[in-house]
Amino acid sequence: MSFGYLILELRRAMRSTRFMIFTIAFPVLMFLLYTGLYSGGHKSITGILMIDMTAFGALSGALFAGSRVALERSAGWQRQLRLTPLSGPAYLTAKGITGMMLAIPAVVLVPLVGALVEGVSLDATGWLRVVVGTWLAVIPFALIGLLVGQIGTPETMQPIMTIVMLVMSMLGGIFIPIDSMPGWMLDIAHVLPSYWLGQIARGAVTTDLTSSLGKAVLVLAAWSVVLAVAVVRRYRRDSARV
Amino acid sequence: MNTTRISQTGSTTSAGAAVMLAGLRKHYGQVRAVDGVDLVIAPGEVVALLGPNGAGKSTTVDMLLGLTKPDAGTVTVFGASPHEAVADGSIGAMLQGGALLDDATVGETVAMVASLHRKPLPVAEALRRSGIEDLASRRCNKLSGGQKQRVRFAVALVSDPDLLVLDEPTAAMDVASRRDFWRSMHSFTESGRTVLFATHYLEEAETYADRVVLMRSGRVVADGSVAEVTSLVAGRVLRAAIPGATESVLRVLPGVSEVEVRGEQVSISSRDSDATLRALLQTFPQARDIEVAAVGLEGAFLSLTSDSAESGVTEGATR
Repeated sequence: MSFGYLILELRRAMRSTRFMIFTIAFPVLMFLLYTGLYSGGHKSITGILMIDMTAFGALSGALFAGSRVALERSAGWQRQLRLTPLSGPAYLTAKGITGMMLAIPAVVLVPLVGALVEGVSLDATGWLRVVVGTWLAVIPFALIGLLVGQIGTPETMQPIMTIVMLVMSMLGGIFIPIDSMPGWMLDIAHVLPSYWLGQIARGAVTTDLTSSLGKAVLVLAAWSVVLAVAVVRRYRRDSARV
Repeated sequence: MNTTRISQTGSTTSAGAAVMLAGLRKHYGQVRAVDGVDLVIAPGEVVALLGPNGAGKSTTVDMLLGLTKPDAGTVTVFGASPHEAVADGSIGAMLQGGALLDDATVGETVAMVASLHRKPLPVAEALRRSGIEDLASRRCNKLSGGQKQRVRFAVALVSDPDLLVLDEPTAAMDVASRRDFWRSMHSFTESGRTVLFATHYLEEAETYADRVVLMRSGRVVADGSVAEVTSLVAGRVLRAAIPGATESVLRVLPGVSEVEVRGEQVSISSRDSDATLRALLQTFPQARDIEVAAVGLEGAFLSLTSDSAESGVTEGATR
Protein backbone atom coordinates (compact mmCIF):
# COMPACT_ATOMS: atom_id res chain seq x y z
CA MET A 1 0.00 0.00 0.00
CA SER A 2 1.34 3.39 -0.81
CA PHE A 3 0.98 6.94 0.34
CA GLY A 4 -0.41 8.01 -3.03
CA TYR A 5 -3.20 5.50 -2.72
CA LEU A 6 -4.24 6.84 0.70
CA ILE A 7 -4.16 10.42 -0.55
CA LEU A 8 -6.61 9.61 -3.33
CA GLU A 9 -8.90 7.79 -0.90
CA LEU A 10 -8.98 10.94 1.24
CA ARG A 11 -9.52 13.26 -1.71
CA ARG A 12 -12.44 11.15 -2.88
CA ALA A 13 -14.03 11.29 0.57
CA MET A 14 -13.64 15.06 0.68
CA ARG A 15 -15.71 15.27 -2.50
CA SER A 16 -18.64 13.57 -0.88
CA THR A 17 -21.29 15.98 0.38
CA ARG A 18 -22.51 13.33 2.80
CA PHE A 19 -19.06 13.20 4.36
CA MET A 20 -18.71 16.97 4.56
CA ILE A 21 -22.16 17.39 6.12
CA PHE A 22 -22.15 14.56 8.64
CA THR A 23 -18.59 14.70 9.82
CA ILE A 24 -17.71 18.37 9.59
CA ALA A 25 -20.60 20.81 9.26
CA PHE A 26 -23.19 18.92 11.30
CA PRO A 27 -21.12 18.37 14.49
CA VAL A 28 -19.86 21.95 14.56
CA LEU A 29 -23.30 23.47 13.98
CA MET A 30 -25.00 21.15 16.46
CA PHE A 31 -22.38 22.01 19.05
CA LEU A 32 -23.02 25.74 18.60
CA LEU A 33 -26.80 25.26 18.61
CA TYR A 34 -26.94 22.94 21.64
CA THR A 35 -24.59 25.15 23.61
CA GLY A 36 -26.84 28.14 22.96
CA LEU A 37 -29.94 26.14 23.92
CA TYR A 38 -28.89 24.03 26.87
CA SER A 39 -25.63 25.09 28.48
CA GLY A 40 -27.06 28.12 30.27
CA GLY A 41 -23.51 29.31 30.77
CA HIS A 42 -22.44 26.16 32.61
CA LYS A 43 -18.92 25.40 31.47
CA SER A 44 -19.22 21.68 32.24
CA ILE A 45 -22.32 21.33 30.03
CA THR A 46 -20.56 23.17 27.21
CA GLY A 47 -17.63 20.81 27.70
CA ILE A 48 -19.83 17.71 27.60
CA LEU A 49 -21.58 18.97 24.46
CA MET A 50 -18.19 19.63 22.88
CA ILE A 51 -17.05 16.10 23.65
CA ASP A 52 -20.29 14.56 22.41
CA MET A 53 -20.23 16.43 19.11
CA THR A 54 -16.54 15.68 18.65
CA ALA A 55 -17.36 12.02 19.21
CA PHE A 56 -20.27 12.12 16.77
CA GLY A 57 -18.26 13.74 13.98
CA ALA A 58 -15.36 11.39 14.54
CA LEU A 59 -17.47 8.24 14.56
CA SER A 60 -19.31 9.35 11.40
CA GLY A 61 -15.99 9.88 9.64
CA ALA A 62 -14.64 6.54 10.81
CA LEU A 63 -17.77 4.68 9.67
CA PHE A 64 -17.79 6.45 6.32
CA ALA A 65 -14.68 4.95 4.71
CA GLY A 66 -15.64 1.37 5.43
CA SER A 67 -19.11 1.83 4.07
CA ARG A 68 -17.54 2.65 0.72
CA VAL A 69 -16.29 -0.92 0.57
CA ALA A 70 -19.78 -2.13 -0.31
CA LEU A 71 -19.97 0.24 -3.27
CA GLU A 72 -16.55 -0.67 -4.56
CA ARG A 73 -17.22 -4.35 -4.12
CA SER A 74 -20.44 -4.37 -6.08
CA ALA A 75 -19.12 -2.07 -8.80
CA GLY A 76 -16.25 -4.46 -9.48
CA TRP A 77 -13.54 -2.05 -8.42
CA GLN A 78 -12.34 -4.60 -5.86
CA ARG A 79 -11.84 -7.09 -8.68
CA GLN A 80 -9.77 -4.51 -10.51
CA LEU A 81 -7.70 -3.93 -7.40
CA ARG A 82 -7.13 -7.66 -7.07
CA LEU A 83 -5.18 -7.34 -10.30
CA THR A 84 -2.70 -5.06 -8.57
CA PRO A 85 -0.12 -5.94 -5.91
CA LEU A 86 -2.52 -4.52 -3.29
CA SER A 87 -3.58 -7.51 -1.23
CA GLY A 88 -7.05 -7.92 0.26
CA PRO A 89 -5.85 -7.33 3.83
CA ALA A 90 -3.92 -4.27 2.65
CA TYR A 91 -7.06 -2.96 0.97
CA LEU A 92 -9.04 -3.33 4.19
CA THR A 93 -6.21 -1.79 6.19
CA ALA A 94 -6.13 1.16 3.80
CA LYS A 95 -9.87 1.63 4.24
CA GLY A 96 -9.47 1.44 8.02
CA ILE A 97 -6.67 4.00 8.00
CA THR A 98 -8.75 6.21 5.71
CA GLY A 99 -11.60 5.98 8.21
CA MET A 100 -9.27 7.13 10.97
CA MET A 101 -8.03 9.99 8.79
CA LEU A 102 -11.60 11.07 8.11
CA ALA A 103 -12.20 11.30 11.85
CA ILE A 104 -9.51 13.96 12.16
CA PRO A 105 -11.48 17.03 10.94
CA ALA A 106 -14.09 16.56 13.67
CA VAL A 107 -11.61 16.01 16.52
CA VAL A 108 -9.77 19.15 15.49
CA LEU A 109 -12.60 21.48 14.48
CA VAL A 110 -15.14 20.90 17.24
CA PRO A 111 -12.62 21.38 20.10
CA LEU A 112 -11.21 24.39 18.25
CA VAL A 113 -14.65 25.97 18.13
CA GLY A 114 -15.06 25.01 21.78
CA ALA A 115 -11.87 26.81 22.76
CA LEU A 116 -12.17 29.85 20.52
CA VAL A 117 -15.92 30.46 20.32
CA GLU A 118 -17.41 28.88 23.42
CA GLY A 119 -14.57 29.62 25.77
CA VAL A 120 -13.91 26.07 26.93
CA SER A 121 -10.64 25.97 28.80
CA LEU A 122 -8.89 22.76 29.71
CA ASP A 123 -5.38 21.84 30.74
CA ALA A 124 -3.07 20.13 28.26
CA THR A 125 -4.03 16.64 29.46
CA GLY A 126 -7.68 17.55 29.09
CA TRP A 127 -7.26 18.69 25.50
CA LEU A 128 -5.17 15.60 24.79
CA ARG A 129 -8.03 13.42 26.02
CA VAL A 130 -10.58 15.33 23.94
CA VAL A 131 -8.58 15.43 20.71
CA VAL A 132 -6.25 12.42 20.63
CA GLY A 133 -8.25 10.28 23.03
CA THR A 134 -11.53 10.68 21.16
CA TRP A 135 -9.72 10.13 17.87
CA LEU A 136 -8.18 6.83 18.96
CA ALA A 137 -11.47 5.79 20.55
CA VAL A 138 -13.21 5.65 17.15
CA ILE A 139 -11.09 2.66 16.07
CA PRO A 140 -14.07 0.34 16.80
CA PHE A 141 -16.22 2.48 14.49
CA ALA A 142 -13.73 2.27 11.65
CA LEU A 143 -13.96 -1.52 12.11
CA ILE A 144 -17.79 -1.44 12.17
CA GLY A 145 -17.60 0.49 8.89
CA LEU A 146 -15.44 -2.23 7.36
CA LEU A 147 -17.76 -4.96 8.59
CA VAL A 148 -20.87 -3.27 7.23
CA GLY A 149 -19.05 -2.52 3.99
CA GLN A 150 -18.27 -6.20 3.57
CA ILE A 151 -21.75 -7.42 4.41
CA GLY A 152 -23.91 -4.73 2.84
CA THR A 153 -24.82 -4.01 -0.74
CA PRO A 154 -25.08 -0.49 -2.16
CA GLU A 155 -28.84 -0.71 -1.55
CA THR A 156 -28.76 -1.99 2.04
CA MET A 157 -25.72 -0.02 3.13
CA GLN A 158 -27.45 3.31 3.56
CA PRO A 159 -30.21 2.01 5.87
CA ILE A 160 -27.74 -0.11 7.84
CA MET A 161 -25.45 2.87 8.33
CA THR A 162 -28.37 5.07 9.38
CA ILE A 163 -29.46 2.51 11.97
CA VAL A 164 -25.92 2.10 13.28
CA MET A 165 -25.48 5.87 13.58
CA LEU A 166 -28.86 6.33 15.27
CA VAL A 167 -28.41 3.52 17.76
CA MET A 168 -24.86 4.54 18.56
CA SER A 169 -25.58 8.24 18.95
CA MET A 170 -28.98 8.02 20.65
CA LEU A 171 -28.55 5.04 22.96
CA GLY A 172 -24.84 5.62 23.42
CA GLY A 173 -25.52 8.97 25.06
CA ILE A 174 -24.32 11.34 22.36
CA PHE A 175 -27.64 12.97 21.50
CA ILE A 176 -29.49 11.93 24.62
CA PRO A 177 -27.51 13.10 27.69
CA ILE A 178 -26.71 10.13 29.88
CA ASP A 179 -27.84 11.95 33.03
CA SER A 180 -31.37 12.18 31.60
CA MET A 181 -31.51 8.47 30.68
CA PRO A 182 -33.79 6.05 32.55
CA GLY A 183 -31.98 3.14 34.16
CA TRP A 184 -32.78 0.55 31.50
CA MET A 185 -31.50 2.85 28.79
CA LEU A 186 -28.32 3.45 30.69
CA ASP A 187 -27.88 -0.33 30.92
CA ILE A 188 -28.07 -0.55 27.13
CA ALA A 189 -25.73 2.42 26.79
CA HIS A 190 -23.09 0.60 28.82
CA VAL A 191 -22.88 -2.09 26.18
CA LEU A 192 -22.29 0.29 23.28
CA PRO A 193 -18.85 1.48 22.22
CA SER A 194 -20.26 4.97 21.65
CA TYR A 195 -20.95 5.29 25.38
CA TRP A 196 -17.32 4.53 26.15
CA LEU A 197 -16.22 6.82 23.33
CA GLY A 198 -17.97 9.63 25.19
CA GLN A 199 -16.36 8.51 28.45
CA ILE A 200 -12.82 8.84 27.12
CA ALA A 201 -12.80 12.62 27.48
CA ARG A 202 -15.74 13.17 29.83
CA GLY A 203 -13.50 13.03 32.89
CA ALA A 204 -11.66 16.08 31.60
CA VAL A 205 -14.74 18.32 31.92
CA THR A 206 -16.93 16.79 34.63
CA THR A 207 -16.94 14.29 37.44
CA ASP A 208 -20.64 13.58 36.98
CA LEU A 209 -21.40 10.05 35.68
CA THR A 210 -17.78 9.55 34.75
CA SER A 211 -16.06 6.19 34.49
CA SER A 212 -12.34 5.81 34.84
CA LEU A 213 -10.28 6.37 31.71
CA GLY A 214 -8.68 2.97 32.12
CA LYS A 215 -12.03 1.20 32.09
CA ALA A 216 -13.16 3.10 28.98
CA VAL A 217 -9.94 2.20 27.20
CA LEU A 218 -10.31 -1.45 28.16
CA VAL A 219 -13.90 -1.71 26.94
CA LEU A 220 -13.06 0.01 23.65
CA ALA A 221 -10.01 -2.22 23.21
CA ALA A 222 -12.20 -5.27 23.77
CA TRP A 223 -14.69 -4.00 21.18
CA SER A 224 -11.84 -3.41 18.75
CA VAL A 225 -10.53 -6.93 19.15
CA VAL A 226 -13.96 -8.52 18.68
CA LEU A 227 -14.73 -6.37 15.64
CA ALA A 228 -11.30 -6.93 14.10
CA VAL A 229 -11.80 -10.69 14.38
CA ALA A 230 -15.24 -10.35 12.78
CA VAL A 231 -13.82 -8.27 9.91
CA VAL A 232 -11.03 -10.76 9.25
CA ARG A 233 -13.38 -13.74 9.40
CA ARG A 234 -15.82 -12.07 7.06
CA TYR A 235 -12.99 -11.24 4.68
CA ARG A 236 -11.74 -14.83 4.68
CA ARG A 237 -15.21 -16.14 3.95
CA ASP A 238 -15.66 -13.58 1.20
CA SER A 239 -12.41 -14.36 -0.56
CA ALA A 240 -12.81 -18.12 -0.19
CA ARG A 241 -15.91 -17.88 -2.36
CA VAL A 242 -14.00 -17.30 -5.58
CA MET B 1 -11.56 -34.75 -27.37
CA ASN B 2 -12.56 -32.64 -30.29
CA THR B 3 -9.86 -30.07 -29.80
CA THR B 4 -7.84 -29.31 -32.83
CA ARG B 5 -4.39 -27.88 -32.61
CA ILE B 6 -3.54 -27.06 -36.17
CA SER B 7 -0.37 -25.10 -36.26
CA GLN B 8 2.70 -25.14 -34.13
CA THR B 9 2.58 -21.39 -33.67
CA GLY B 10 3.13 -20.68 -30.06
CA SER B 11 3.51 -24.22 -28.86
CA THR B 12 6.71 -23.61 -27.01
CA THR B 13 7.97 -25.39 -23.99
CA SER B 14 6.00 -24.48 -20.91
CA ALA B 15 9.00 -22.84 -19.29
CA GLY B 16 9.20 -20.07 -21.88
CA ALA B 17 5.47 -19.68 -22.35
CA ALA B 18 3.65 -16.47 -21.53
CA VAL B 19 0.55 -18.42 -20.58
CA MET B 20 0.11 -22.08 -19.93
CA LEU B 21 -3.24 -23.57 -19.03
CA ALA B 22 -3.29 -27.31 -18.43
CA GLY B 23 -6.36 -29.43 -17.79
CA LEU B 24 -8.27 -26.43 -16.52
CA ARG B 25 -11.71 -27.16 -15.10
CA LYS B 26 -14.33 -25.14 -13.28
CA HIS B 27 -17.81 -26.36 -12.46
CA TYR B 28 -20.63 -24.31 -10.99
CA GLY B 29 -22.99 -26.94 -9.63
CA GLN B 30 -24.05 -28.99 -12.65
CA VAL B 31 -22.71 -26.46 -15.13
CA ARG B 32 -19.29 -27.26 -16.53
CA ALA B 33 -18.23 -23.68 -17.23
CA VAL B 34 -14.73 -24.76 -18.17
CA ASP B 35 -14.28 -28.40 -18.94
CA GLY B 36 -10.67 -29.27 -19.59
CA VAL B 37 -8.87 -26.43 -21.33
CA ASP B 38 -5.26 -26.75 -22.44
CA LEU B 39 -3.65 -23.70 -23.94
CA VAL B 40 -0.11 -22.50 -24.41
CA ILE B 41 0.56 -18.93 -25.54
CA ALA B 42 4.06 -17.90 -26.53
CA PRO B 43 5.46 -14.48 -25.65
CA GLY B 44 4.54 -11.95 -28.34
CA GLU B 45 1.45 -13.72 -29.59
CA VAL B 46 -1.82 -11.88 -30.02
CA VAL B 47 -4.54 -14.41 -29.36
CA ALA B 48 -8.27 -13.96 -29.76
CA LEU B 49 -10.53 -16.06 -27.57
CA LEU B 50 -13.84 -16.62 -29.33
CA GLY B 51 -17.00 -18.42 -28.47
CA PRO B 52 -20.70 -17.92 -28.00
CA ASN B 53 -22.08 -16.66 -24.68
CA GLY B 54 -21.57 -19.24 -21.97
CA ALA B 55 -18.70 -20.94 -23.78
CA GLY B 56 -16.45 -20.41 -20.75
CA LYS B 57 -14.34 -17.53 -22.03
CA SER B 58 -14.81 -15.26 -19.01
CA THR B 59 -14.34 -18.09 -16.54
CA THR B 60 -11.13 -19.07 -18.32
CA VAL B 61 -9.94 -15.47 -18.21
CA ASP B 62 -10.83 -15.21 -14.50
CA MET B 63 -8.81 -18.31 -13.71
CA LEU B 64 -5.89 -17.03 -15.77
CA LEU B 65 -5.93 -13.85 -13.71
CA GLY B 66 -6.25 -15.69 -10.41
CA LEU B 67 -9.68 -14.19 -9.71
CA THR B 68 -11.30 -17.61 -9.74
CA LYS B 69 -9.81 -20.78 -8.34
CA PRO B 70 -9.87 -23.71 -10.79
CA ASP B 71 -11.44 -26.98 -9.61
CA ALA B 72 -8.65 -28.80 -11.40
CA GLY B 73 -5.70 -28.03 -13.60
CA THR B 74 -2.91 -25.49 -13.48
CA VAL B 75 -2.37 -21.94 -14.64
CA THR B 76 1.10 -20.55 -15.23
CA VAL B 77 1.90 -17.04 -16.37
CA PHE B 78 5.54 -16.50 -17.33
CA GLY B 79 6.36 -19.57 -15.27
CA ALA B 80 4.71 -18.21 -12.12
CA SER B 81 1.30 -18.48 -10.51
CA PRO B 82 -1.27 -15.86 -11.50
CA HIS B 83 -0.94 -14.26 -8.06
CA GLU B 84 2.80 -13.93 -8.41
CA ALA B 85 2.41 -12.52 -11.91
CA VAL B 86 -0.16 -10.01 -10.67
CA ALA B 87 2.02 -8.98 -7.73
CA ASP B 88 4.88 -8.60 -10.16
CA GLY B 89 2.85 -6.31 -12.41
CA SER B 90 3.42 -8.57 -15.39
CA ILE B 91 -0.31 -9.00 -16.10
CA GLY B 92 -2.56 -6.11 -17.02
CA ALA B 93 -6.23 -6.77 -17.49
CA MET B 94 -9.38 -5.12 -18.68
CA LEU B 95 -12.28 -6.91 -17.11
CA GLN B 96 -15.73 -7.16 -18.56
CA GLY B 97 -17.70 -4.18 -17.29
CA GLY B 98 -14.85 -3.51 -14.89
CA ALA B 99 -15.64 -0.68 -12.57
CA LEU B 100 -14.31 2.81 -12.34
CA LEU B 101 -14.67 5.03 -9.32
CA ASP B 102 -17.40 7.58 -9.95
CA ASP B 103 -15.93 10.13 -7.60
CA ALA B 104 -12.38 10.07 -8.96
CA THR B 105 -11.04 11.70 -12.09
CA VAL B 106 -9.48 9.72 -14.93
CA GLY B 107 -6.01 10.93 -13.98
CA GLU B 108 -6.52 10.05 -10.32
CA THR B 109 -7.84 6.58 -11.11
CA VAL B 110 -4.85 5.72 -13.26
CA ALA B 111 -2.48 7.32 -10.74
CA MET B 112 -4.08 5.31 -7.93
CA VAL B 113 -3.47 2.02 -9.71
CA ALA B 114 0.01 3.16 -10.71
CA SER B 115 0.83 3.91 -7.08
CA LEU B 116 0.14 0.29 -6.19
CA HIS B 117 2.59 -1.11 -8.71
CA ARG B 118 6.32 -1.29 -8.28
CA LYS B 119 7.49 -0.22 -11.72
CA PRO B 120 4.57 1.63 -13.28
CA LEU B 121 4.56 3.70 -16.43
CA PRO B 122 4.34 7.43 -15.86
CA VAL B 123 0.62 8.21 -15.60
CA ALA B 124 0.79 10.70 -18.47
CA GLU B 125 2.35 8.02 -20.65
CA ALA B 126 -0.41 5.51 -19.87
CA LEU B 127 -3.04 8.14 -20.65
CA ARG B 128 -1.31 9.07 -23.89
CA ARG B 129 -1.05 5.47 -25.05
CA SER B 130 -4.74 5.00 -24.38
CA GLY B 131 -5.55 8.20 -26.21
CA ILE B 132 -7.20 9.90 -23.24
CA GLU B 133 -4.66 12.51 -22.13
CA ASP B 134 -7.30 15.19 -22.73
CA LEU B 135 -9.65 13.46 -20.26
CA ALA B 136 -7.23 13.40 -17.31
CA SER B 137 -9.20 15.81 -15.15
CA ARG B 138 -12.66 14.49 -16.08
CA ARG B 139 -14.67 12.60 -13.43
CA CYS B 140 -15.21 8.97 -14.33
CA ASN B 141 -19.00 9.27 -14.08
CA LYS B 142 -18.96 11.87 -16.86
CA LEU B 143 -17.48 9.59 -19.50
CA SER B 144 -19.09 7.88 -22.47
CA GLY B 145 -19.02 4.10 -22.73
CA GLY B 146 -16.14 4.18 -25.18
CA GLN B 147 -14.15 6.61 -23.05
CA LYS B 148 -14.67 4.40 -19.99
CA GLN B 149 -13.24 1.47 -21.89
CA ARG B 150 -10.16 3.51 -22.73
CA VAL B 151 -9.72 4.44 -19.08
CA ARG B 152 -9.90 0.74 -18.25
CA PHE B 153 -7.30 0.18 -20.91
CA ALA B 154 -5.06 2.81 -19.30
CA VAL B 155 -5.57 1.11 -15.92
CA ALA B 156 -4.55 -2.21 -17.47
CA LEU B 157 -1.57 -0.62 -19.18
CA VAL B 158 -0.13 1.44 -16.36
CA SER B 159 1.74 -1.43 -14.71
CA ASP B 160 3.64 -1.80 -18.00
CA PRO B 161 2.62 -5.46 -18.24
CA ASP B 162 4.12 -8.13 -20.49
CA LEU B 163 0.75 -9.82 -20.86
CA LEU B 164 -2.44 -7.95 -21.46
CA VAL B 165 -5.74 -9.76 -20.95
CA LEU B 166 -8.83 -8.08 -22.34
CA ASP B 167 -12.32 -9.41 -21.76
CA GLU B 168 -14.65 -7.95 -24.41
CA PRO B 169 -12.56 -4.78 -24.67
CA THR B 170 -14.68 -3.07 -27.31
CA ALA B 171 -18.14 -3.85 -25.98
CA ALA B 172 -20.08 -0.57 -25.64
CA MET B 173 -17.87 1.15 -28.20
CA ASP B 174 -19.07 2.62 -31.44
CA VAL B 175 -17.31 1.84 -34.70
CA ALA B 176 -14.97 4.82 -34.57
CA SER B 177 -13.91 4.23 -30.95
CA ARG B 178 -13.33 0.58 -31.73
CA ARG B 179 -10.97 1.51 -34.53
CA ASP B 180 -9.17 4.02 -32.30
CA PHE B 181 -8.95 1.45 -29.53
CA TRP B 182 -7.32 -1.11 -31.76
CA ARG B 183 -4.92 1.50 -33.02
CA SER B 184 -3.74 2.06 -29.43
CA MET B 185 -3.59 -1.71 -28.95
CA HIS B 186 -1.45 -2.06 -32.00
CA SER B 187 1.31 0.14 -30.62
CA PHE B 188 1.31 -2.05 -27.53
CA THR B 189 1.63 -5.31 -29.42
CA GLU B 190 4.28 -3.90 -31.72
CA SER B 191 6.68 -3.85 -28.80
CA GLY B 192 6.46 -7.63 -28.60
CA ARG B 193 4.00 -7.90 -25.76
CA THR B 194 1.55 -10.78 -25.41
CA VAL B 195 -2.18 -10.17 -25.69
CA LEU B 196 -5.14 -12.43 -25.05
CA PHE B 197 -8.52 -10.93 -25.82
CA ALA B 198 -11.99 -12.34 -25.68
CA THR B 199 -14.40 -10.82 -28.14
CA HIS B 200 -17.73 -11.13 -29.87
CA TYR B 201 -16.57 -9.22 -32.91
CA LEU B 202 -15.16 -11.74 -35.33
CA GLU B 203 -13.73 -9.11 -37.62
CA GLU B 204 -11.60 -7.90 -34.70
CA ALA B 205 -10.19 -11.37 -34.29
CA GLU B 206 -9.71 -11.61 -38.04
CA THR B 207 -7.88 -8.30 -38.25
CA TYR B 208 -5.84 -8.17 -35.08
CA ALA B 209 -5.13 -11.69 -33.85
CA ASP B 210 -2.22 -13.88 -34.87
CA ARG B 211 -4.11 -16.80 -33.55
CA VAL B 212 -7.69 -17.68 -32.79
CA VAL B 213 -8.88 -19.98 -30.03
CA LEU B 214 -12.48 -21.05 -30.37
CA MET B 215 -14.34 -22.26 -27.30
CA ARG B 216 -17.64 -24.05 -26.96
CA SER B 217 -19.24 -25.56 -23.86
CA GLY B 218 -16.13 -25.04 -21.77
CA ARG B 219 -13.73 -26.58 -24.26
CA VAL B 220 -11.37 -25.42 -26.95
CA VAL B 221 -12.80 -26.64 -30.25
CA ALA B 222 -10.33 -25.01 -32.62
CA ASP B 223 -7.00 -23.29 -32.27
CA GLY B 224 -4.83 -21.81 -34.98
CA SER B 225 -4.40 -18.85 -37.29
CA VAL B 226 -7.53 -17.30 -38.75
CA ALA B 227 -6.82 -18.95 -42.09
CA GLU B 228 -6.34 -22.31 -40.45
CA VAL B 229 -9.46 -22.12 -38.36
CA THR B 230 -11.44 -20.95 -41.33
CA SER B 231 -10.18 -23.81 -43.44
CA LEU B 232 -11.32 -26.28 -40.79
CA VAL B 233 -14.83 -25.74 -41.92
CA ALA B 234 -15.63 -27.26 -45.24
CA GLY B 235 -13.80 -24.68 -47.26
CA ARG B 236 -16.49 -23.02 -49.37
CA VAL B 237 -20.14 -22.25 -49.56
CA LEU B 238 -21.89 -22.75 -52.89
CA ARG B 239 -25.13 -20.95 -53.59
CA ALA B 240 -27.37 -21.36 -56.63
CA ALA B 241 -30.93 -21.28 -57.83
CA ILE B 242 -31.81 -24.83 -58.87
CA PRO B 243 -35.43 -25.55 -59.79
CA GLY B 244 -36.43 -29.05 -58.81
CA ALA B 245 -33.43 -29.81 -56.58
CA THR B 246 -34.02 -31.87 -53.47
CA GLU B 247 -31.92 -32.09 -50.37
CA SER B 248 -31.40 -35.82 -50.60
CA VAL B 249 -29.95 -35.60 -54.08
CA LEU B 250 -27.70 -32.68 -53.20
CA ARG B 251 -26.36 -34.43 -50.10
CA VAL B 252 -24.76 -37.23 -52.04
CA LEU B 253 -22.78 -34.91 -54.30
CA PRO B 254 -19.02 -35.17 -53.69
CA GLY B 255 -17.55 -33.00 -50.92
CA VAL B 256 -20.87 -31.83 -49.51
CA SER B 257 -21.06 -31.40 -45.76
CA GLU B 258 -24.25 -29.40 -45.32
CA VAL B 259 -27.24 -28.55 -47.49
CA GLU B 260 -29.97 -26.00 -47.11
CA VAL B 261 -32.85 -25.77 -49.61
CA ARG B 262 -35.33 -22.91 -49.59
CA GLY B 263 -37.57 -23.18 -52.60
CA GLU B 264 -35.24 -22.84 -55.54
CA GLN B 265 -32.47 -21.32 -53.47
CA VAL B 266 -29.85 -23.85 -52.50
CA SER B 267 -26.93 -23.33 -50.15
CA ILE B 268 -24.32 -26.07 -50.00
CA SER B 269 -21.32 -26.21 -47.69
CA SER B 270 -18.56 -28.13 -49.35
CA ARG B 271 -15.12 -29.39 -48.45
CA ASP B 272 -14.23 -29.53 -52.14
CA SER B 273 -16.21 -26.91 -53.98
CA ASP B 274 -14.67 -27.70 -57.38
CA ALA B 275 -15.78 -31.33 -57.28
CA THR B 276 -19.18 -30.38 -55.91
CA LEU B 277 -19.73 -27.79 -58.61
CA ARG B 278 -18.79 -30.15 -61.46
CA ALA B 279 -21.12 -32.83 -60.18
CA LEU B 280 -23.84 -30.30 -59.51
CA LEU B 281 -23.80 -28.98 -63.06
CA GLN B 282 -23.97 -32.50 -64.44
CA THR B 283 -26.92 -33.44 -62.27
CA PHE B 284 -28.71 -30.09 -62.54
CA PRO B 285 -27.81 -28.39 -65.82
CA GLN B 286 -30.61 -25.91 -65.14
CA ALA B 287 -28.73 -24.42 -62.15
CA ARG B 288 -28.17 -20.68 -62.41
CA ASP B 289 -26.92 -17.66 -60.41
CA ILE B 290 -24.10 -19.76 -59.07
CA GLU B 291 -21.89 -18.23 -56.37
CA VAL B 292 -18.94 -19.79 -54.62
CA ALA B 293 -17.67 -18.04 -51.49
CA ALA B 294 -15.18 -18.71 -48.75
CA VAL B 295 -16.75 -19.63 -45.44
CA GLY B 296 -14.89 -16.94 -43.53
CA LEU B 297 -14.32 -16.83 -39.83
CA GLU B 298 -17.97 -16.19 -39.19
CA GLY B 299 -18.99 -19.34 -40.99
CA ALA B 300 -16.31 -21.28 -39.17
CA PHE B 301 -17.43 -19.80 -35.89
CA LEU B 302 -21.06 -20.70 -36.45
CA SER B 303 -20.24 -24.13 -37.71
CA LEU B 304 -17.74 -24.97 -34.97
CA THR B 305 -19.67 -23.54 -32.06
CA SER B 306 -23.27 -24.40 -32.88
CA ASP B 307 -24.94 -27.00 -30.70
CA SER B 308 -25.27 -29.38 -33.61
CA ALA B 309 -21.56 -29.07 -34.24
CA GLU B 310 -20.64 -31.74 -31.69
CA SER B 311 -20.01 -34.48 -34.25
CA GLY B 312 -19.53 -32.23 -37.25
CA VAL B 313 -16.60 -30.49 -35.65
CA THR B 314 -14.63 -33.62 -35.11
CA GLU B 315 -15.28 -34.67 -38.64
CA GLY B 316 -14.48 -31.31 -40.16
CA ALA B 317 -11.65 -30.39 -37.89
CA THR B 318 -9.57 -33.49 -37.53
CA ARG B 319 -7.33 -34.32 -40.37
